[in-house]
Amino acid sequence: MPGARATGLRSNRIRRSFGLRAFTAFNYTFLALFAFITFYPFWYILIASFNMGRDFARGGVYLFPRAFTLDNYKKAFENKQIVDAFLISVGRTGIGVALGLFFTSLMSYGLHIRTLPGRTGFVLYFFITTIVSGGMVPYFLLLRALGLTKSFWIFVWPSIFSFYNMILVRTYFDGIPPELRESARIDGAGEWRTLIQIYLPTSLPVLATVALFVGVGHWNDWFTGAYYVTNQKLMPAATLLQKILMEASSQQSIKPGQESAIYAQAVTTTPQSLQMAFVMILTMPIVAVYPFLQKYYVKGVMVGSVKG
Amino acid sequence: MTRQVARGTPKAQTAAARSRILRHSAVYMMLLPAVVWYAVFCYQPMYGVLLAFKDYKFNMGILRSPWVGLKYFRQFLFATEFWGVIKNTVVISALKLVCSFPAPIILALLLNEVQRLKFKRVVQTVSYLPHFVSWVVVYTLLTIIFTPYGGLVNSLRTQTFGLEAVYYMGEKQYFYPMAVLSDIWKGVGWGTIVYLSAITSVSPELYEAAIVDGAGRMRCAWHITLPGIRPTISILFILATGGILNANTDQILLMQQPANMSISQIIDTYVLKIGIREGRFGYATAIGLFKSVFSAALMFMANSVSKRVGEISIW
Repeated sequence: MPGARATGLRSNRIRRSFGLRAFTAFNYTFLALFAFITFYPFWYILIASFNMGRDFARGGVYLFPRAFTLDNYKKAFENKQIVDAFLISVGRTGIGVALGLFFTSLMSYGLHIRTLPGRTGFVLYFFITTIVSGGMVPYFLLLRALGLTKSFWIFVWPSIFSFYNMILVRTYFDGIPPELRESARIDGAGEWRTLIQIYLPTSLPVLATVALFVGVGHWNDWFTGAYYVTNQKLMPAATLLQKILMEASSQQSIKPGQESAIYAQAVTTTPQSLQMAFVMILTMPIVAVYPFLQKYYVKGVMVGSVKG
Repeated sequence: MTRQVARGTPKAQTAAARSRILRHSAVYMMLLPAVVWYAVFCYQPMYGVLLAFKDYKFNMGILRSPWVGLKYFRQFLFATEFWGVIKNTVVISALKLVCSFPAPIILALLLNEVQRLKFKRVVQTVSYLPHFVSWVVVYTLLTIIFTPYGGLVNSLRTQTFGLEAVYYMGEKQYFYPMAVLSDIWKGVGWGTIVYLSAITSVSPELYEAAIVDGAGRMRCAWHITLPGIRPTISILFILATGGILNANTDQILLMQQPANMSISQIIDTYVLKIGIREGRFGYATAIGLFKSVFSAALMFMANSVSKRVGEISIW
C-alpha cells in the first residue's frame, strides 16, 4: 500500500515524519499486543495442561510449565467417555468431510454448466433456503421423524450441503478453461469422468478450503449433540466438554478446599487440569491445519463476500 | 412458406430442447442428490412452519392437527417473558453492532499501514485462530482465565493490585461486557479479511494524488481508504442489521447461568427452552416465525435507508 513517503516542503516533511514515526511505533505496539492477547489464552492453557494440576492451582505459572507432567493427558486418554467422544468426533469429521466434498462437487459441477436447461431455476431453488428457513422446532421434528435423533448419521446428512461452499467450488470450476472439458468430451469422457479425472485434480486448493470449513464445522459442533441427539453414546467431544463445563459451573459454590478433598485420590491432576488437556486435544488439530491453508481460504472468503 | 416455418418452429424448438435436456441427463443425475436433500432438510421444515397455527398432536401429524389461528402469537405477545426476551436480544445485538462491527474495520486499517510483511502475516495468522475454534473452547478459556479460584485475571487483581477477586462469568453485571469482549476476540481477525481485500481494490492513483497534495497517512486512511471500502461496510452492516434478532445463540447458550438469566435469555434460547426442552412445539414455532418475519423486515428497512443515504443496496 502506498505510504506517505511524500516529497514536499522540507519543514513539512520533518513535522510529518515525526508524526509518522510516532504513529508507526504505536501501530506496531498495538498490533503486537493484539496478537499477544489473541494467542496467550491458548498458550496459558497449553502450559497448564502440561503442568501438575495441584501445583498449577497454587498460581504463578504464566510462561512455562513449573512442574512438568503428562498425567493430565494420560488421565484424559484413560477416560473411556472422553475417548469415545473423540472417536465420534473423528468419525463424523472424516465421514462428513468426505461425503460433503463429494456431494458439493457434484452440485457445483452441475451448476457451473451454463448450457444446462433450467440452470437458473436450480440456483434459485437452492438460494431461497439461505434466506428463508423453517426455524429450529420444525427442523427438530423433521430430524426426529427421520429417526436421526438416535443415529450417528444426524452428524452427517443434515450438514452435507451448503450453498456458500457450493459457490466457492463453482467459482473455481468456472475458472477452468472450457476447452479442457470440451477436449475431454471429444476424447469420449462422460460428465462423471470429466469431473473426477479432470476437474477434481485441478481444484485441490478450493477442495482443501471447503474441507477445512466443513471439517472445522463438524469438529466444533456441540449444539447438535446437546440439543438434538437423544442417545448419550453419540456425544461428540465438543458436546462432552460443554456438559463438563455446565456441571462444573453448577458446582461453583464448592470452595477450592472442599473440591480437593473430593478429588483426594487424584494426586497431581485436578478436574480443571484435566479440562485443560481436553481443551488442548480439541484445539490442536485445528492449530495444526489452519495456518497452512491460509492462502486458500482467504481467497475463498473474498469470493464468498463478492458473490454472497 | 412463412406460415409453414412458423408452424414448424415450435416443434423443432421442443425437439431441440428435448435433445438438449437429454444430452445433459448425466448432469441432472449429479444435481439430483442436492435437489432431494434441499427438499428434505430445507423445504420440509418450511412447510412445518404451519405448526405455528396448529395445536400439534403427535399422533395426527402436522396436517391433521386442529387449527388454532393466531393463538400462539397472542400468547407470546402477552407472555410475561415477552418484553424481557425481546429486549435482551436487541440489547445484546445492538451492543455487538456498536462494538464488534467496527472492530475489524479499525484493525484492517491498522494492518494496512504495516509495511513489514512478515510481521503483518504473523499477526494475521494469529488473529484467525479464535475464528476456527469452537465457542465451547472459547468459553472454557474464559472460565479458566477468569475464575475467582486462582484464575489469571483474578490472581493479578488480588496479588498485584490488592483488589478483591471477582466472579466474572457468574455475576450479572459482567455478562454483557464478557459477551461483547469475547465476541470481538473471536471474530475481529477473521472479519478483517473482507475489508483488507476491499482495501486492495482502492485505486492507487487516489493515494498518489493525495500525497502530492500533502496528505499524511491518517488523512489518506480517513479520506481515501475509508470511503473506498464504504460499499463493503454498508453491505455487511445491512446483513448485520438483518441478524439483529439472532445475537449468536451458540455463545449466549454457553454463557447463560441462573444468575444472569434475566438479561441473557434471547429469542433463540427461549425457543430452544420452550420447544425442545419443554416440547411446546406449536408455541415455539410461532416465536421462531415471529423472529424471522421481523428480521426480514429489519433487513428491508436497513437496505432502504442505505439505498437512500449512500445509494448502496444488497438487491
